[in-house]
Amino acid sequence: MCRIGAIKSKKYVYPSMALKLMRSQQEGHDDSGFAFVMQDLGGIFESYKDLPCLSMAATVKGTRLAEDILHDIGFTRVLQWSPDVNNQKGLKISPMPNYIFEVLQYPKSHKYATKEEKEELLIDTSLRLRKALEEDNEGFIYSFWPDMLTLKEIGSPKDIGTYFGLWNDKDEPCAKIVTAQCRQNTNYDIVRYAAHPFVLEGYTVLVNGENTFYEKNKQYQQGLYKGYVGFESDSQCFLYTLHYVNKILKWPLRYFMHVINPLSYDSINKREDKNILLRIKASLEHLETNGPNTVLSVTPDGRLLCTCDSKKLRPVVIGRDDNTVIMTSEVAGVNDLLPHRDIRQDIYPKEREMVVVNNDLTVERWQQ
Amino acid sequence: MAAVTVNELHIDDLPWIIEYDESKCIQCGKCVASCAFKAIKPAIEQRKKSGSITEKNKFEKVIVIKQNISFAEHCRGCGMCVRVCPNGAIHVKRNTDDRYSVRYRAAKADSVKKGGRSNLNTEGRTLDKIKVGRISQMTDPSLDAVRHTFELKTPFGRVLSADKLGFEIKNDTIIETKKLPPNNWIYPIIMGDMSIGAVSWRMWEAMAIATAYLNEVMGIPVRMCTGEGGIPSKLLKSKYVKYMILQIASGHFGWNRIIDAMPDMTEDPAGILIKIGQGAKPGDGGMLMANKVAKYIQEIRGVPKADLLSPPTHQGLYSIEESVQKMFLSMNAAFNFKVPVAIKVAASATSVSVYNNLLRDPYNIVGGFFLDGLAAGTGAAHEISLNHTGHPITSKLRDCYLAAIHQGRQGEIPIFAGGGLGQTGSFAADAFKLICLGANGVFSGRLLLEIAGCVGNDTERCNACNTGLCPAGIASQDVCLTKRLDIDKVAQNLVNYFIATDFELRKLMAATGCSALPIGRSDALITVDKNVADRLDIQYVC
Amino acid sequence: MKSITIEGIVNNERISTQDLLQEIQSKIDEGFTDFEIHACGQHDIGGSSWAKDKDETLTFNITNPGQRVGAMARRGTKIFVNGSTPADVGWLNSGAEIVVKGDCGDTAAHCAASGHIYVSGRVGTRSGALMKFDPKFEAPEFWVLKNTGSYSFEFMGGGIAVICGFDCSDIDSVLGKRSCVGMVGGTIYFRGPIKDLADCVEVQDLNQEDISFLENGMDRFLTAIDKRGLKDTLLNINEWRKIVPLPPDKKTERIPVAKFRKENWVEGGIFGDFIEDDYKVYELAATGDGRLQEPQWDKEKCVDCKMCINNCPQNAISDDYSVNPNKCIGCSFCATVCPKHAWSMKDNKKEIS
Repeated sequence: MCRIGAIKSKKYVYPSMALKLMRSQQEGHDDSGFAFVMQDLGGIFESYKDLPCLSMAATVKGTRLAEDILHDIGFTRVLQWSPDVNNQKGLKISPMPNYIFEVLQYPKSHKYATKEEKEELLIDTSLRLRKALEEDNEGFIYSFWPDMLTLKEIGSPKDIGTYFGLWNDKDEPCAKIVTAQCRQNTNYDIVRYAAHPFVLEGYTVLVNGENTFYEKNKQYQQGLYKGYVGFESDSQCFLYTLHYVNKILKWPLRYFMHVINPLSYDSINKREDKNILLRIKASLEHLETNGPNTVLSVTPDGRLLCTCDSKKLRPVVIGRDDNTVIMTSEVAGVNDLLPHRDIRQDIYPKEREMVVVNNDLTVERWQQ
Repeated sequence: MAAVTVNELHIDDLPWIIEYDESKCIQCGKCVASCAFKAIKPAIEQRKKSGSITEKNKFEKVIVIKQNISFAEHCRGCGMCVRVCPNGAIHVKRNTDDRYSVRYRAAKADSVKKGGRSNLNTEGRTLDKIKVGRISQMTDPSLDAVRHTFELKTPFGRVLSADKLGFEIKNDTIIETKKLPPNNWIYPIIMGDMSIGAVSWRMWEAMAIATAYLNEVMGIPVRMCTGEGGIPSKLLKSKYVKYMILQIASGHFGWNRIIDAMPDMTEDPAGILIKIGQGAKPGDGGMLMANKVAKYIQEIRGVPKADLLSPPTHQGLYSIEESVQKMFLSMNAAFNFKVPVAIKVAASATSVSVYNNLLRDPYNIVGGFFLDGLAAGTGAAHEISLNHTGHPITSKLRDCYLAAIHQGRQGEIPIFAGGGLGQTGSFAADAFKLICLGANGVFSGRLLLEIAGCVGNDTERCNACNTGLCPAGIASQDVCLTKRLDIDKVAQNLVNYFIATDFELRKLMAATGCSALPIGRSDALITVDKNVADRLDIQYVC
Repeated sequence: MKSITIEGIVNNERISTQDLLQEIQSKIDEGFTDFEIHACGQHDIGGSSWAKDKDETLTFNITNPGQRVGAMARRGTKIFVNGSTPADVGWLNSGAEIVVKGDCGDTAAHCAASGHIYVSGRVGTRSGALMKFDPKFEAPEFWVLKNTGSYSFEFMGGGIAVICGFDCSDIDSVLGKRSCVGMVGGTIYFRGPIKDLADCVEVQDLNQEDISFLENGMDRFLTAIDKRGLKDTLLNINEWRKIVPLPPDKKTERIPVAKFRKENWVEGGIFGDFIEDDYKVYELAATGDGRLQEPQWDKEKCVDCKMCINNCPQNAISDDYSVNPNKCIGCSFCATVCPKHAWSMKDNKKEIS
């Protein structure tokens, strides 16, 4: 069970909004964790949108290890922010010793590097950090990407909120895009990496669903790109497929649907673009995710996406007012945050539908 | 009476013994009349009359049914006599202690030949040791086999990885910029592939009719592989040729007529299958004995009435590079690169190397890999090949699929697996398991024969396809025997079996929550056999 | 009538569904019958709460409920939701009147067995699935002002659904896609376009009984959702049709393959160029041309002992020793019994021509 949510606003919003969004959907998750990703950051991060931001939770040793690696590569710290933790007794949380959110300057060697070269450096560094921390179980690298901040923790979402002081809307952190999920355990293990949202190179994905083709997705993705690692959850496959389709193959977003939930041969055969769609269906057969799923995603350029499987087996609703759009599993969450909205504007995405929220909050609906 | 000596063939040497109950026999003669092998005959026996021993004329003659004891005319256990006997007076009994094959070799200085299947398959079927064990409960919903929709089509033809499709983006839409290898989307079960000649014209036409019916009436896009024995030009010129995969083997039989028909063809065939080898007799070529080379076969194949022994390899193909470049190119060119061309090989310890080589072919013209395992059937073979050569399909298919995964190229050359499928009754179960292990689809020929009424089995019953005396009229060219086969019933039974199989395939997909073919979804499978689990990389359970 | 308001969030802490439902039940036990619930997504509100006195009416006014509003609710329960609700509204409704002034999530009215569910907006995917009708109780009714999501009314077994199709001009099917899969009972009245219906149901025009049901029911429905002004728009009876399950005898039969061969297959058979086949089928012990062997008589050797004639099982040999091919099966008894070998058997092997 899990409940997912995404908020996109014209104004900076705080993680408390995500906590409140998920609070009314509590029966739909198991109160075992809270994770959120913030993109398009505000507050003290606002001036550093082009510099990579590292989100990490680690032991003291792990922190040192990471700092050494970053130093070794040539990154220099521009800004560091650590949450002011509330250690009150009785909170249901298993915290890590250190939480580090820092903005770094690229190494001198990359002063004149292209965007691609910088991105390459970030993924390579993330993987190196992850590997180093994993070896002795010293911590977790959640994200290392410009203008993005990630936190994942095990425990009750309410208490995690209290521990990190997220219920009080302070200056930090805030952002125009917040995605969140309240659940930590997966069908597999309880690992911090296994919590949605999953991020890779500016793409964020949250899934309410099952990927019955997990094994074959995984087998195929492992050879596709070095950044496709972990696979702690069957839902990571959705992230990697979105990344592969949009970033590596450079296909428009709507083809993501044709990869994860391809139409039947008979439906494709009636269409004008059948040649293209049949090729995609055959070539990326191993990226089909068969099973119930609603996928919420954020693209590096800040668009919000929602897609539903072919049978629409998982709930999702999109509600809005003039400044904010919310996508979430159950309407109760939207009712709590936007009680006075016009409910006639609510969107209940259908099977095989993709809804895109653009940066100006206009909405596009696209039927597969 | 002739003198009896030890070295003569004796009834105990034969594989089947006729059990005859004279007291039930009404001497209607039907058993003799029905026996295609002339294995039984009426005979006169001298009997002692009951009554006084002083009486003169104390013998009487009676007619009884007796078994022929000869290499040429011996009982194959087909049981036609049992079927026609009104009183149950005759039965056939397996002689568990026969010495027929030893006697035959000793008498004839020749190898033993037969048709049918391998009969030394004593180790049991791996597929039956595998269960579909990942049933959807709670986490994802099971589906309803009757009411939900399922995608049961699979690509046939060379599939390129997404980055090699040459797609470009224009107005936020993908457009094609280069010609791509042909792909046809077909049902994952192929009927195949038995030649005209190996089977009778009625059997072959019944399969073709069933294929057409399944496609046109039922919407089940089954394809039929023709085998290599020529193809009637009336079929080539009809719209139904689009459901046919034309085969070319080492004999190239009938291809001149195919070439001749090409200008008149209104549809492309579904594909071309280059047969290199077959699972039942790997390393052997085709073998059609003269008595099956009927007049129309001589015409369609362009040969005289003689034993047709095709070479085990295509003359002119000396290496895999040549086979790809020459044979695939020629066959692709034949239909202007619009029809997928696949290869069929017998499963072998070397199959993975073959598959790897094909995957790396830079011309991308290999459209399918048909892998045929040792439990497959054949119209005629040397017993030594049939019983002692070959490789089981299951692990070999898996090896090939895992080899593709290793290169990140799974699915690029679709694999179709065959060889003894449906042997234990359910083609759907075998198909589903092999698909989960990595096959895009499966094929079977022998099962179709059983559906048609073949009385043979895997323990030496009948298996006389090579003689041309098939008592069911399936593997014969004799007009009296072939006309025993009811073409409409055979076609109907084939259609019915495929409708049932289609439903059963959906049942397995439904239970595992798959609405599309679970190609390579090995996590759906479990086995209680640790060795099978280790070998196939599936879950061991107990 | 005693009223009480219950809050779903107290001191900034959300009350769990368990605690909230137990609180409601304890208030019912104290004699409260009229509830105002300010929920925060708690499930099952209004449903699983029962008064001691069976005939007592319980009323719930709810804001922001979670899933399964009015689930398993009994007769005498009235539930009013001011706003939209998540999934499973009226799940297993067993007699309550449930009014939703907004949209419902997926599977609204799922398994509803009695009572009335009135929705003033849209309902989600698989709504109306498995509705049923037990003749001991009133049939369940499910009224929706706008439209349903796809896969609506899957496996419906009974009851009545009314989909009014209001404000649906941009929608191509007011029942979504693949509606009524597995439907075996009940009636769905609908107004507006539909498409992609399952093949186990049929669409019919309304009869007089249907029309009076709609006319009477529409009043109740529009009153409940406070939209009486729509009556004239919605009661244009010509715009309505209904869906009922197809009777078993209407299911289509497949054509026999033999008919397909005769009517659709390549004319004259695909081997027609080479061979003439009448497609007749021989018996195993056939007579005439179907015989595997034919007897041949040599007059010179015959001594007219009539052994063959007497022993022929088919009585196929005449007194002049001619053989009637329509009787003879080629059993070779004649050749076996002939003392002078006047009969011999000749293979009847013929190749097709």
